[in-house]
Amino acid sequence: MQIGNIIQLLSGGLAMGAIYVLVALGLYITHLTTHRVNFGQGDFLMVGTFLMLLLRKVGAPLGVAIAATLVVLAVMGWLLERIAIRPLDRKKTSPVGAFSWILTTAGIALILQNVIELGFGKTSQYSAPLFSSQRDQVVQVLGAGLFVEEILVIVAAILIVAIFYAFMFHSRWGKNIQAVAFNPESAKLLGIHTDRVKTGVFIIAAILAAVAGILIGPLVTINPHMGLVLTIKALIVAAIGGFANPVGILIGGILFGIFESLSNYLDSGFGDLYPLLAALIIIAVKPSGLFSEGRADVR
Amino acid sequence: MSDNALNAKRDPKRLPYLLGIICFIVMPWLPLNGFYVFLAQTFFYTLIAVIGLNLLLGLSGQMSLGQAGFYALGAYGSALTALKLGWPVPLAIAFGTFLAALGGGLVGVFALRTRGLYLAMTTLAVGYVLDILAQRWIGLTGGAMGLSGVPQLEFGLPKLGPVFFFYFAGTALIVIQLLSDFIHDGRFGRNLRAIRESEVFAASVGIQVSRWKAGIFAFAAALAGMGGAFFAHQSGFVGSDAFTVRLSIALLIAAVVGGLGTKSGPLLGTLILLGIVEVIAGIDKYGLFIYGLILVTVLLAFPKGAAGILDSLTTKLGLSRKKITLLDATIPSSKEQLSELALRRIANEGTSLCLQGLSKSYSGLKAVDEVSIDIKPNTVHGLIGPNGAGKSTIINMIAGVYLPDTGTITLGGQNISSLGVAERAHLGLARTFQNLQLIEAVSVLDNVMLGVKHQQSYTKDFFDWLFKNSLEKNERQESMNILNFLGLGHLADRLPGELPYGHRKLLELARAIAQRPRILLLDEPIAGMNAQEAKEIAQVILKLRQLGITIVLVEHNMEFVMSVCDELSVLNFGRLIAHGTPGEIQQNPTVIEAYLGTGVKK
Repeated sequence: MQIGNIIQLLSGGLAMGAIYVLVALGLYITHLTTHRVNFGQGDFLMVGTFLMLLLRKVGAPLGVAIAATLVVLAVMGWLLERIAIRPLDRKKTSPVGAFSWILTTAGIALILQNVIELGFGKTSQYSAPLFSSQRDQVVQVLGAGLFVEEILVIVAAILIVAIFYAFMFHSRWGKNIQAVAFNPESAKLLGIHTDRVKTGVFIIAAILAAVAGILIGPLVTINPHMGLVLTIKALIVAAIGGFANPVGILIGGILFGIFESLSNYLDSGFGDLYPLLAALIIIAVKPSGLFSEGRADVR
Repeated sequence: MSDNALNAKRDPKRLPYLLGIICFIVMPWLPLNGFYVFLAQTFFYTLIAVIGLNLLLGLSGQMSLGQAGFYALGAYGSALTALKLGWPVPLAIAFGTFLAALGGGLVGVFALRTRGLYLAMTTLAVGYVLDILAQRWIGLTGGAMGLSGVPQLEFGLPKLGPVFFFYFAGTALIVIQLLSDFIHDGRFGRNLRAIRESEVFAASVGIQVSRWKAGIFAFAAALAGMGGAFFAHQSGFVGSDAFTVRLSIALLIAAVVGGLGTKSGPLLGTLILLGIVEVIAGIDKYGLFIYGLILVTVLLAFPKGAAGILDSLTTKLGLSRKKITLLDATIPSSKEQLSELALRRIANEGTSLCLQGLSKSYSGLKAVDEVSIDIKPNTVHGLIGPNGAGKSTIINMIAGVYLPDTGTITLGGQNISSLGVAERAHLGLARTFQNLQLIEAVSVLDNVMLGVKHQQSYTKDFFDWLFKNSLEKNERQESMNILNFLGLGHLADRLPGELPYGHRKLLELARAIAQRPRILLLDEPIAGMNAQEAKEIAQVILKLRQLGITIVLVEHNMEFVMSVCDELSVLNFGRLIAHGTPGEIQQNPTVIEAYLGTGVKK
């Protein structure tokens, strides 16, 4: 393997890793606050990607397309919490126990897959590039030909992760979210509208899925059933960070992306399975995740 | 069988089973389209897989989104051994089932440590990995093109193959449905439901939680594998398309729609599922949509599923006769039995409990600091002190929920410091919880039976249940005696949720007594009770001490504490500040300042 080759693989892995981080942060923020996640997070991403594809096809300018996609997904996040998650909390004694939300959110994901499939067909499609003039525009970096699109996706993802962190740890909203996560009852006593926060985090998660969906479009071929794999990988990346450590998620996601890129190169048949299996073993051995101390979160 | 035995107790499960078996024997000989026989076969093996999922999710509360993976393991395990190694079909099916159980046991490693979200994630991922392997490992599985010519059950008579298969799969199903009913009715179901309620609680009654969780997971995987193995031999073709996440979802739908945690749920759910599949076959375009819609609607609107709906319908229409339970009315306890209860207790002589230099910190904060207490056998020992003094931490360290940072705990001369909760329960530690722990889904009597030691082998239990309509008779009688002892006998058939708070507290005490403790830990036994109820509890506690049990209790009601305790230990800020008889403690100036206050003089 040449140096150039390695740089190419690193750049591709970094780009995908950044996407995983974005999707996983959505899972992280809802789990932190409500102990629930959307098992269709990947399918929300898929809807975002196809919306972009559609809007660009009908000639909407890039900015408008992005804005519209974000708004639609935000509404979907709101609806998801209202329809598929909140009503379950009122039923204390559901036979599925405390985990009905896993099945309802998965059910919504199936519906979304079907709707998109009816609209766009089963076959794989290509999205138009976001930043570069054509799909395979390449720049030379250290003797390696890198896709402009990939580099810009990485930059955009890093920016958004930074914004997310600033929001979480330095804004009033973020502090409210943390208060609700710490103890919903006392947060309520402090005058925080916990219900609004709980809906809010699902909206944020959906927006993160939309952003990831917009960015991933030009990198891969897209199809209505791409969501499941992304949900699985995002869940695993979030679990590597113990579902409680955003820095762990950042590191875990990027390592996962790079590992995947390398193993795909070395074994084109089963390469994508190695990082999954490795991560599963890590979680089995250390259920609290690689980057956190203490016991597993067994709620 | 004598008429007498027939009249004495009608076995409620006999009629449905007989009907089912008659239909089953007759069906292949009816002049039906072969398609219906095929459909019935599909129903049989799908139901086997759904029964497993119902036990897993409905009883133990563990989520699996990857049953398709185990189904695939069973299918390939059986198809390949029969096809490539020439094994006879029944042996191949057994191997497929075993392979799936093995896979399930491996994934069960996750179940040991986590549940809920993590387990859902892990099973989803494992199912996905197995699906991908089936698709891409073409050398072994043939991928989507599949394996064809998988041997079928023929015994040299190819024409009768479908009928043989029908009987084979159907017989397997009947055995498994019986097993599932047995699990629901008896000790297995109770233990699994306790685990689902709370793992700490389950361990505190002596259930080895990790073993049970891994075991039920492997069992559910084995049943999924058996379903898959039958599938592989049904038409002689196995293609990887059959094992996508869509199958996992379909099995979940059957379990949920039928009614989770009910005996008939899987049967109803599988019927509905196959109905849906037949309908969808025409409009496959909308298949996922329909699946998703059903999942969401049922969970939101009819979480009890078809079994629940049927149940409330028959009650509404007045169709359901008086409930026939396994319990022969209410079992009265004779005077002898109540005193025999007392006699038996003596076998479990209370023992001493010795805490030596116990310390426990929570992230730097010392909750318990070098506490040493000697609890003498056959006494009532009270732990008192203001909130945050460390009482609950000590109780939890004695029970094994927390391990102390330093110090040792000795139970009757045996060092138990490093033992787990369940092991300590087996040595004779029983406890009640500050926030009541009961299994809400089963009767009051069953809640007590949770504590009673198992007295004969499961095999014997099974055959008693199957042929004599009597399950765990001795355990039942013993539990009834305890309920009568506490004056709850008339409520034995009720659900705990129907009881007032005071009775729920008593019920929890009954369960702890059923464990035949040598040491009984009571965490705020009269919190929330009125004066009359508190008096009754005090009576019970004194009686238990008479029977020889050592009792350790935490309680804030001083009147109560002073009246029942032989000795008291007073804690403040994690330190032991006084120790002595109630009389000594009431005079102790440090205690008065820290806790009792001067008002105690009145």
